[in-house]
Amino acid sequence: MGRLSFSDTRHLVTRTALGAEWGSTKALEGKTRQEAVNILLKSAPIKTPGLPALTPWANVTRMKQQSNMGKDRARKMMKIEGQRLKNWWMKHLLHTDAPVNEHMTLFWHNHFTSSLEKVEQPHLLYLQNQFLRKNAMGNFRVMLHAIARDPAMLVYLDGDKNVKGSPNENFARELLELFTLGRGHYNEADIKAAAIAFTGWGTDRNRGTYTYTQAKHDPRRFTFMGRTGAFTGDQIIDIILEKPRVAEYIAENFWKEFISDSPPDPRVVRRWAAVFKNSNYTIKALLIEVLNSDQFWSRKYRGTLTKSPIDLVVGTLRTLPFPKLSAGKLSHISQLLGQDLFDPPTVKGWPGGTAWIDTQTLLVRISLLNKLTRHSKASEKMQSYLPKTTGTEVVDWLLPMAPVLPLPTARGKRRMVRALMLDPVYQLK
Amino acid sequence: MNRRDFLQYTSLMPLAGMLPDAFAAGQRPDQIVLLVHLQGANDGLNTLIPFRDDFYHKARPTLAIKKGIPLKNNMAMNPYLKDLMPLWEQGQMAWVQGVGYSRPSRSHFHSLDVWETASTRHNEDRGWLTRVLPARASAVNGVVLGDNDLGPMGGKGSAAVAMEDPSTFLRQTKYINKQNYRASNPSLAHMLNVQNTINTAAHELERAYHGQHSKVKFPTSRFGRKLEQVTKMIINGMDTPVYKVTLEGFDTHAGQMTPHNNLLYHLGGGLKAFSDAMKQAGLWNNVLVMTYSEFGRRVAENKSGGTDHGAAAPQLILGGRVRGGLHGRQPSLDPSKLYDGDLVHTVDFREMYATLAQRWWKRPNPWASQHRPLPFV
Repeated sequence: MGRLSFSDTRHLVTRTALGAEWGSTKALEGKTRQEAVNILLKSAPIKTPGLPALTPWANVTRMKQQSNMGKDRARKMMKIEGQRLKNWWMKHLLHTDAPVNEHMTLFWHNHFTSSLEKVEQPHLLYLQNQFLRKNAMGNFRVMLHAIARDPAMLVYLDGDKNVKGSPNENFARELLELFTLGRGHYNEADIKAAAIAFTGWGTDRNRGTYTYTQAKHDPRRFTFMGRTGAFTGDQIIDIILEKPRVAEYIAENFWKEFISDSPPDPRVVRRWAAVFKNSNYTIKALLIEVLNSDQFWSRKYRGTLTKSPIDLVVGTLRTLPFPKLSAGKLSHISQLLGQDLFDPPTVKGWPGGTAWIDTQTLLVRISLLNKLTRHSKASEKMQSYLPKTTGTEVVDWLLPMAPVLPLPTARGKRRMVRALMLDPVYQLK
Repeated sequence: MNRRDFLQYTSLMPLAGMLPDAFAAGQRPDQIVLLVHLQGANDGLNTLIPFRDDFYHKARPTLAIKKGIPLKNNMAMNPYLKDLMPLWEQGQMAWVQGVGYSRPSRSHFHSLDVWETASTRHNEDRGWLTRVLPARASAVNGVVLGDNDLGPMGGKGSAAVAMEDPSTFLRQTKYINKQNYRASNPSLAHMLNVQNTINTAAHELERAYHGQHSKVKFPTSRFGRKLEQVTKMIINGMDTPVYKVTLEGFDTHAGQMTPHNNLLYHLGGGLKAFSDAMKQAGLWNNVLVMTYSEFGRRVAENKSGGTDHGAAAPQLILGGRVRGGLHGRQPSLDPSKLYDGDLVHTVDFREMYATLAQRWWKRPNPWASQHRPLPFV
């Protein structure tokens, strides 16, 4: 196995971190795949910015109960505080020393979606987000058990409304359809059965904790995936995790995240799934397997994934020495680009892939890049911070494949960077 | 492209060797839809009024409209829509009553998403029109005016553009690459298609912008101006089957009477001017106007002289080929027949979409397994 070129290391870093900082990308050049992946995945300390000021939920509830006007005020206040939380995450994305872990945090946010729109209470989303961050490279089994008890999730998928005599199947459905198995690997009866097991699960919104109410729990026996008993929610999760399909489903999602939009090769999925399952669902083990695979490094897939708004916005600002925009401004841009953090469009999260680009978002993408790179005092200054290197290496650093538009004939680093960033290929990774 | 054959969509692959001039698209389609989003959730009961229903007057001691214009079957139209009366008389105005869906959401955001994606499960990314009208190479299927959200025309396979107004859009599109390039993978091909759609829209808008305008005088309101812009695009022959405009301000929780009447006055005046302009251009038979809103409002008024978020409501349809009259069944206002204080829908909103797909555009109905078209066109 050969040594990695600079273009290879850029490929590895842009697909797994947030942008490709010159220094750390350059440092991986000449390593083997395995060495580079190990260095990349070495855990760095995670320090998130301080929690923004959030009003205690009890006060919000009181306000809502006062009057229609109080309700309105409470709603507006939650909107403002929700925005604070979005800015908080944006700030962290921009400055974190652990970009791979953060990339994975975003991945799990998209897998276990919850939204401020539905949950209303920023503090619950904050707790969920910190949980996902802490476990982003940890154990999927642990994660699944905890997410089922997560207060934001209990509100988002109506788990807190799922009670004896009046079951709500929302959580049970998504547990099977979106979190573990995917469509076609369970039936409606399994959903109904699983919903029974989770009755009585709820949340104390004031404390931000999980609650269990015996009286609301339906203790009856039922059949779930061929097994009969009075199963608890945790037992349901363990039964699901026995299915080989779970590891395959997650492996397929990794394929889509790290390799390509095209359907995965089933043999590859089975191989990755086996590694994942044998490691008792260690996420890092799966990631190492994926990043060392021939598919990940194949030329065939270079430049075939569309950059997400976070890849584009945060990635660009982490890669190149442009003056940093405020977190508020960045979350606004990201929202215009279709990735409103903490507010995914549907329970399935963001569809991603080519769906990131439509007539509206392409206009915003181009206008942003145009604004960043056009001639100004700031971009003039940026020039002096650019690495001293050859034009070929700049192309390798910023683009996943050869530009499709002609490069400028006049000399100048700034002009070159601008041309590369405005090339359609810059939207890809 | 033959205008009769506008539904014969060509391949999605980017056209080779495209020059800026090649952005000129085909001809104006024969079946155009103008969608009017009544943003904020229109009070259906004060728009199409069950004026002989005691339950109505009881539920609305201060808000009941007493001087509605009787249409038929004990239903009256809000008097501030009187500009539209000639269309009713000519049989070019249809009301579909009681449109909604089961287990309705009372969140603006969520319910709008339901209407625009035609899915109540919050799991569909594509707008309903994206599903009905397949994308055509370098052509624009829809123009959203006054909003940057593609709404019912968004999602995978979308071929629509959204803009605050045409001049802003033209300014923004200046920076979009105009050159063709070799798209060596599907993501790049997709981007090239999107680029071409934008450039075609810009090219067409530019042409319409400098083209003729209707002699009809439009109201000078924001809504009136948007309709005037749509008119300009249509009469100058843009190859676009859908336009969408918004009239804002229907979230009338307090002091509803005057603002709501005002809004309906703007709606009526604007649509009257639009229909006049279409008639003058000989295009009224080629256009269908449909309103929609997140939901209706509660049957009972609240203590602030307003109404809160409710459920089912009527939808207004206009057009030269529309089958005028009242369609669907008005939901009962009897308190014992309400669901949690709300009207229970009698027509699923997807029947509206099914109608447009099948009867207006002669396209397959994506909801055929559950929802049949209605005879309003």
